[in-house]
Amino acid sequence: MSVPTAGRQDHQGTPPSDPGSSSGVITGVGQEVDGATIIPVTMTSAGAPPRPPLARPRDGRMLAGVAAGTAAHLRQDPLIVRVAFVVLATALIGIVAYMLLWLTMPVATEETDQQADPGRPIPEPRGLRQWIGLGVLGIAAAVFFGQLSQWFSSDVVLPLALVAGGLIVIWRQLDTDRTLSVPGVRWALAGGAALAAGGVVLLLATTGQLAAARNGFVATLVILIGVVLATAPVWRRLLDSRAEERTARIRSEERAAVAAHLHDSVLQTLALIQRHSDEPQAVGRLARSQERELRAWLYDPAVVREGGTWAGLVAGMVAEVESDHELVVDPVVVGDAPVDEALAALGAATREALVNAAKHSGTTAADLYTEVTAERVSVFVRDRGAGFDPAAVPPDRRGLRDSVTGRLTRLGGTAEVRTSPGEGTEVELSLPRSAA
Amino acid sequence: MTPPRVFIVDDHAMVRAGVRAELGTDVTVVGEAPDVPAAVEGIRATRPDVVLLDVHLPGGGGLAVLETLRSELPDVRWLALSVSDAAEDVIAVIRAGARGYVTKTISGPDLVAAVHRVADGDVVFSPRLAGFVLDAFSAAGAASPEPAEEATDPGLDLLSTREREVMQLLARGYTYREIGSRLFISVKTVESHASNVLRKLQLSNRNELTRWAATNRLL
Repeated sequence: MSVPTAGRQDHQGTPPSDPGSSSGVITGVGQEVDGATIIPVTMTSAGAPPRPPLARPRDGRMLAGVAAGTAAHLRQDPLIVRVAFVVLATALIGIVAYMLLWLTMPVATEETDQQADPGRPIPEPRGLRQWIGLGVLGIAAAVFFGQLSQWFSSDVVLPLALVAGGLIVIWRQLDTDRTLSVPGVRWALAGGAALAAGGVVLLLATTGQLAAARNGFVATLVILIGVVLATAPVWRRLLDSRAEERTARIRSEERAAVAAHLHDSVLQTLALIQRHSDEPQAVGRLARSQERELRAWLYDPAVVREGGTWAGLVAGMVAEVESDHELVVDPVVVGDAPVDEALAALGAATREALVNAAKHSGTTAADLYTEVTAERVSVFVRDRGAGFDPAAVPPDRRGLRDSVTGRLTRLGGTAEVRTSPGEGTEVELSLPRSAA
Repeated sequence: MTPPRVFIVDDHAMVRAGVRAELGTDVTVVGEAPDVPAAVEGIRATRPDVVLLDVHLPGGGGLAVLETLRSELPDVRWLALSVSDAAEDVIAVIRAGARGYVTKTISGPDLVAAVHRVADGDVVFSPRLAGFVLDAFSAAGAASPEPAEEATDPGLDLLSTREREVMQLLARGYTYREIGSRLFISVKTVESHASNVLRKLQLSNRNELTRWAATNRLL
């Protein structure tokens, strides 16, 4: 008992939403923890209907969606907020504020995008990448304004603008959920990098430090390559272990799902069976209904999940009759069709025939065969019980006649009962498909 | 008449013991095996009349046992006995040469009767197997507007009206005797119809059955 229970708790402990966990899988190792610990920013003012949470929308972004998200939260036109940010940016405050908000505002989830419940927005997984990016942005901005105030010449401003533009392109691409496998993202990243690199070279050239920087650059490059080569096995192992971790997690999640299902179904039934061990009828019924449920779960998930078809209807009906009456039915279904009103009525008539067999035949087993062809749906319910003389049925016992025969003739179908005392009973129900 | 000699192949010791007990004295159990290699070895050594073969076995399933020994031991008859309701498993074992299929929920006397019938060279259709067969052949018949694949051997791919009737009655839970009196034919004729259907199932164009399996979400 302890193992499945533990597995079940595991299962429930995993993040309930697929988007959150799957993006954690794609983008990095440590992010799941980050994603789980960041508290989503949800502000609800008392009284008024709740504002949308402060989050960056997925669509309608200019840069990182900060202005759009803030505007949505304040219920303002995004243009106003953007103008405000730009105006404030001239005094540096706007840039700092923008960066801080970018840092703290989670990306809006699908639901919050659609103004749904703000109860549980999934915080954006926040990686090292973004922190570095933001740090560089801050330094660049500081340097930019420092330089700008010192030598206000176009020689410096142009390369810096290039660098800034390139960085913005890169960050915009990295900030979305799209993975690097999308070609457009890669090209945009390459373009952004080229732009930024060009800006740096231009800046060094115009300030006359290109020659000096070249030596430093070469040295840095050599050191970087050395470090990468020296630590190559570590990177390799990191990648490998990440893949392993992922498969292991998928496997354990599957296992947890199976364990949860078995716990709710099979183990419960086994416990019930132990308690009722002195009642063979109850034990048989429990075992049988559990078998049917498990079998459907294992072999025929489509019937269970989709429903709405004749085969599914029959399976469900048999389950009900078996649990309500002392009857074991072995249904054989050939063909299938979507359930409409006529088929639902045929199902009700079939159920009535099964219940009749359970009540009056005196046996505990019945055969149910149903066949769906292009022309008709036929049902045969057969028991090997006492049988009866149809002529001797008292008029007040009209169950079979009214609820089975009547129902079907109203729909253009036929019902036939073949029986005689001692020979068992077979009820044949037939419904033309055209009537459906 | 000497009781048929039976070999039981099933990976669960409890099932083997239960089947052995239910078979009683009308049948001589000459051996049992829990997996594919042991079954192949044991059946080679004992040469039973009938093998009760579990469809799901470690090491390749009952299908592997059948395919290994079928041509080597043509006198051995095979009866699939399984808890599995998955149609593709059942049809695969029948196509490999089993003479029938019964589920493990079958009663003791019915199982004994089935063993005797298989030992006598007849086939055993449980209602469920008859349902699978009807499903398979009605799908194949419904696909007939495509002449290219139908041209291979139309006679083999379709059931005759009488065979279909027999299958439907089997699916409805009738015994061979009841079918005979219902259709006004002898039990022997019913048996030969059932054998023909089994042969058609084994020989019919693989494409049809594959398509049937595909439409039934089995592939």
